Amino acid sequence: MSQVTITVDAQDYRVEEGSLLIEVLIQNGIKIPYFCYHEALGADGNCRMCMVEIEGQKRPQIACDTIVKEGMGVRTKGENINGVRQRILELELINHPVDCPVCDQAGECKLQDFYMDYGLYDSHIDMRQKIHGKKHVDLGSNVMLDQERCVLCARCTRFTADVTKTHELGIIGRGDHARVSTMPGRKLENPYAMNVVDLCPVGALTSKDFRFHQRVWFLKSTPSVCHGCAMGCNIFIDHNKAKYKEDTIYRFRPRRNDAVNGHFICDAGRLSYKALQENRQKEFELGGDSCTEQEALEAVKTAILEAQNITILIDANLYNEEIERIIVFASGIGATVLCPSDCYYDESFGDTWLKKPWRAANIEYINRTEIEHRLPEGSVDLLISFNHPSSKTVDSRLKIIFATHQGHKADILLPISLFSESSGSLTNIHGMTQHCEKAVEGEAPDLIRLVDMIEGEL
Amino acid sequence: MSFVLTPKHLEQIEELKGRYPSAHALALPLLWMVQEQEGVITLDAIDCIAPYCDLPSMELYRIATFYTMFHLEPVGTYHIQLCKTLSCALCGKGEILERLQAKLGIKAGETTADGRFTISQVECLGSCGSAPVMQINEEYHENLTPQKIDEILEALE
Repeated sequence: MSQVTITVDAQDYRVEEGSLLIEVLIQNGIKIPYFCYHEALGADGNCRMCMVEIEGQKRPQIACDTIVKEGMGVRTKGENINGVRQRILELELINHPVDCPVCDQAGECKLQDFYMDYGLYDSHIDMRQKIHGKKHVDLGSNVMLDQERCVLCARCTRFTADVTKTHELGIIGRGDHARVSTMPGRKLENPYAMNVVDLCPVGALTSKDFRFHQRVWFLKSTPSVCHGCAMGCNIFIDHNKAKYKEDTIYRFRPRRNDAVNGHFICDAGRLSYKALQENRQKEFELGGDSCTEQEALEAVKTAILEAQNITILIDANLYNEEIERIIVFASGIGATVLCPSDCYYDESFGDTWLKKPWRAANIEYINRTEIEHRLPEGSVDLLISFNHPSSKTVDSRLKIIFATHQGHKADILLPISLFSESSGSLTNIHGMTQHCEKAVEGEAPDLIRLVDMIEGEL
Repeated sequence: MSFVLTPKHLEQIEELKGRYPSAHALALPLLWMVQEQEGVITLDAIDCIAPYCDLPSMELYRIATFYTMFHLEPVGTYHIQLCKTLSCALCGKGEILERLQAKLGIKAGETTADGRFTISQVECLGSCGSAPVMQINEEYHENLTPQKIDEILEALE
């Protein structure tokens, strides 16, 4: 593609010929307001917010329907264009209830942002003249609709029409009564439905799971990778530590990565944060009774020294660094490392997009090591399981389990941190290694630290 | 699905297909056929005609809700559509509506309990020269006066 030169606010830019002006502006970090355009959905041209002035054109034009041309002069700032945007914003807000204090989108709402940037007008509309819509329509799949807050940008309907191709949502009616809806008696029902909540630039679509739980400005976002399956979709872990409470995860949000998941994640992955935080193993246990870390480590040492043979089971959700550390540890004590993987495979979970039937985040890294995918054969004297879900199906004289969650029966039980409580890397099913940052401060010890201590005792 | 298009309509579809560059364009004629057959556009019927115009049911539903002349709820045997646009409004549409409502005991937008009459107010019927105007089903009634309304309704009863 050949390049053309355009001028934006008196500065020259070399851009690809034939590209959309709004894309050029966004890519070059030039501030431009918009509702309906979305990088994953393309332009629709319905919201009119992205108005710019183009030299030689009588009237302002929308940047999302303008193709760049050699020598094009664009103005995105100035009293004139700001006035145009203000009037468009006022039209968008005609029937908006302005209920920001009770709206979950507040703090991450484009209407709020643009109002602060371009609005700040005295409204011509009397509250009593506003057309009222339904305030809480349960569309299905955890998505709640507030018709009054909607700006009819059609991002949600374009998502179900063009991305999932399930066509559940549409804008029905006309004029002031136009609204987003499903067909009567039918639901929004697809495994990616909750992405419409992220797509919605305003508070019209909110997540039933998240709403009313936390104000977004209290949340800290940490980049991580979803552990729901082997795809390794990039996410943000949104969490907050309220006073006198544990650091808590309130939601997972998709984090853009064009090489893996684009802008989206599946609902199963999005909601997986809940099970993550429930039923945590917090105590060290010896024979079912709680004990101190020192007593547990002492018992582990004795068990290893007295064992006839040792088999280690390793969970395929551990980080690469943890897997490597365990392999080194295993060779030091002469143990066989296995990762029985049948329990991770769920054909029904997989699809042709983001959901993979391998429901273990790091199965690919296991594949790349010498670790075999089978259950132990013959009699096992000492079994050490690093959070492997199949540890209860293996018979052994003695069992040591490092567990993130409750529900394991072992002679020695040691709690370990979750992926959200430590940092590390994962290799996804396509061989891409990605880093996860530590998001949450947890109480359970880090697996590598425990292994270091055990090895130090031997 | 219980709705099926009549053989006559199926024949018409074949004929119409050749007239348009894409099957999508059959959406409006198909919705008209449904309304002609059933008097109302049901979801069942939308599901039935969707494959003919190669559109998802949701698109047809959107079209049906956009145009006020498509009925998603049943209307009375006699659908009285009174023009409410400028010329008719100036020439006494108000008293016509009052008389209609008083005679039938319902308000605009409602249907009588026996399901015989529905009153709707519609935009310009394109007959300003003979305002006020109303349309009962397919038929125009022009130069209306309250007395004329009595006569027209009695003739129907």
